[in-house]
Amino acid sequence: MGTQVKDVIIKPDAPSSLLLDKHADYIAAYGSKKDDYEYTLSEYLRMSGIYWGLTVMDLMAELPRMNRQEIIDFIKACQHECGGLSASIGHDPHLLYTLSAVQILCLYDSVDALDVDKVVEYIKGLQQEDGSFAGDKWGEIDTRFSFCAVATLALLGKMDKINVDKAVEFILSCMNFDGGFGCRPGSESHAGQIYCCAGFLSLTGQLHQVNADLLGWWLCERQLPSGGLNGRPEKLPDVCYSWWVLASLKIIGRIHWIDKAKLRSFILACQDEETGGFADRPGDMVDPFHTLFGIAGLSLLGDEQIKPVNPVLCMPEDVLQRVRLQPDILS
Amino acid sequence: MAESEEEVDVLVQRVVKDITNAFKRNPNIDEIGVIPCPEARYNRSPIVLLENKLGVESWCVKFLLPYVHNKLLLYRQRKHWLEREALADITCTLLLLNPDFTTAWNVRKELLQCGVLNPEKDLYLGQLALTKFPKSPETWIHRRWVLQQILRQSSVAGRSKKPQQSEADAERSQQLSEHLARTLHQEMKVCSDAACRYPSNYNAWSHRIWVLQHMAHGNVKVFHDELSSMRLWVSMHVSDHSGFHYRQFLLKELITEVSQTPASTSSPQQRCSTAPSSSSPPHHSHSQANGELSEAEAAAEEEWQLSVNTVLQLLHQEMELCSDLIQSFPGHETLWSHRRHVFYLWHHWRRDQQQLCSTNQESSSPVLGSNGGPGPHTLNAQSSAGGGGSVNGQGCAAEAMEVDRASLPDPRDSKRLKTGVLLPSPPALPSEPSFVSGVLDGCCNPEQRRFALAYKKWLDTVISQQP
Repeated sequence: MGTQVKDVIIKPDAPSSLLLDKHADYIAAYGSKKDDYEYTLSEYLRMSGIYWGLTVMDLMAELPRMNRQEIIDFIKACQHECGGLSASIGHDPHLLYTLSAVQILCLYDSVDALDVDKVVEYIKGLQQEDGSFAGDKWGEIDTRFSFCAVATLALLGKMDKINVDKAVEFILSCMNFDGGFGCRPGSESHAGQIYCCAGFLSLTGQLHQVNADLLGWWLCERQLPSGGLNGRPEKLPDVCYSWWVLASLKIIGRIHWIDKAKLRSFILACQDEETGGFADRPGDMVDPFHTLFGIAGLSLLGDEQIKPVNPVLCMPEDVLQRVRLQPDILS
Repeated sequence: MAESEEEVDVLVQRVVKDITNAFKRNPNIDEIGVIPCPEARYNRSPIVLLENKLGVESWCVKFLLPYVHNKLLLYRQRKHWLEREALADITCTLLLLNPDFTTAWNVRKELLQCGVLNPEKDLYLGQLALTKFPKSPETWIHRRWVLQQILRQSSVAGRSKKPQQSEADAERSQQLSEHLARTLHQEMKVCSDAACRYPSNYNAWSHRIWVLQHMAHGNVKVFHDELSSMRLWVSMHVSDHSGFHYRQFLLKELITEVSQTPASTSSPQQRCSTAPSSSSPPHHSHSQANGELSEAEAAAEEEWQLSVNTVLQLLHQEMELCSDLIQSFPGHETLWSHRRHVFYLWHHWRRDQQQLCSTNQESSSPVLGSNGGPGPHTLNAQSSAGGGGSVNGQGCAAEAMEVDRASLPDPRDSKRLKTGVLLPSPPALPSEPSFVSGVLDGCCNPEQRRFALAYKKWLDTVISQQP
């Protein structure tokens, strides 16, 4: 008996062309179902949810369909006394949602809706002696939070407010023998954490510290026969990991090492032809999170119907040009 | 069902109370779940307690969750006051249904800080939530915070000891360390449970690593116990990359700990616990100009030999385990990835040993030893002015536990303590390709072929390029 490879089989009738209009309708309708039980269940990450929805709309040049003023007012109401932002009103502030809020305001060119100095103070206050960042005042440490901190500061043009050298030192202490990174020193390499660390090193101008060939090797081994990418060995392929692996490869200049055509057909097969939106895998339920990463992945693969996306910040390149931010990319 | 707002209010308050009472009635509830049941069938509570399992009938969840959710948020916005007990009950219900609701955990942190809740109860709540949501990042994050509180409390209690320790103090400190050991053990169990419920559970395994780093740092025994207790688990979960990564972590830590012997960097802790005269100042073996070794140096030398043997035994056994699994379960990427890591650890440890020995010029005592483990083999690690340390795995010639011949000292110059030791076998690197060709011979599994070839390529490029 052969081993069953952990992968999916793409059916011949799976979608093979990009259904942009359907996706725009799906996202535009998503926010209107606010009484939905599912909506309550996911409120703890609402700010990131809005970032996913608005960014994918902007990449499809459909941002004007969203209610700009309502969103800006909502974000203002989520800034706390300490300067940090929460996922929604009444929730506690956290670096994750502080980054999402600043990303949204950059899309709308309205960063001044926030008390920016306080945001910077909040982030600065979360840096630890070893250079790492706590996600909030309760002290959890994760390389994701280091990324959130420097990404927010880079968008605000305030990177000089933290100890960058120490922050870099901590990230490098999380590097593994396979060239990848985990959430803390000693933790397993994980495509999502690698994306955060590669992005962090790009924003801090330290990409030369990455062993690009070794890391590129590990990242390429994530591609499965279906064309989709997984986040770790022997996991199923997933549209969001396809983005994190692909973006990391782009950052370290090794995107040409994978089979782009196969990845494209995997991502396209994850669309729902009826409802619009992308799922993690073909045939599963769609959500805004996978819809953003599906569209962003296709953009990195060169689809010209979509605006070019920046691999480090997962935002449209034109927005980053406006805030004059060009993170490093290895060639 | 068109319940009025008041009806929902009454219903939900009753259900929250039923949940609280269920915990009072049975403090040993060990699993939670939702019972599929689209409509209320009888006029009875939707909370079902069967032996140690707590179930919630699904029809009530859509009323229950938004209600407790909104109640907590109104409290957080200071629009609605809640008593501490009510807060504890509401967050309990909320977190059992939606454990990634960060703010609800934060409310409990505040309740813990003011003594309304106790740490063990919160660890228990998290443990239950993990039975239904084994990945829940926020639940793991909260556990780490609670564990840190426990650690902080015990370090405060430990520091307040007076110089003249009374019997009561000693007893208290004994209780504290037993309490910490129990907490550690319980935490390992929670991690194992979650790892069984969801394969390659990143959060569970990285939590387990965190726990060892914070609660068992430098405790070689705990690391050894973990390594042996995980052996069976990984053999039954050959696709679980996170489980194998955990073994890699344990091996790496053990090698680091074990290698910190008096002959190298002299770990005071280990030295004091094993050297015959712990009061004498530490000597490095090469500080002795010439002549006889002092008693302390002989002991240090012996300990170094022991540590080398321990490391070799660990790596040898791991490579054997890996070979067995690769042959028994062909086509698993995880196993090949594990092999890369173990080989890498071995490669680097050997390089470090060689560097260490070439700096300890005067040290020339040969080290011999054997282990009592399965498949015993004699080891011979030499160090001399002429070259680096070397080891020879006798009786496992095909394995990777040998060093390059090029780095060996001239055998005529080296002293031996024991006869019957084989001369070092051929270099290590070629023995891995022979393992690979052994696998490829008659291999009809395409995945196994692909992984074997990728491993060979990795050896040829990544390892060969390293110093």
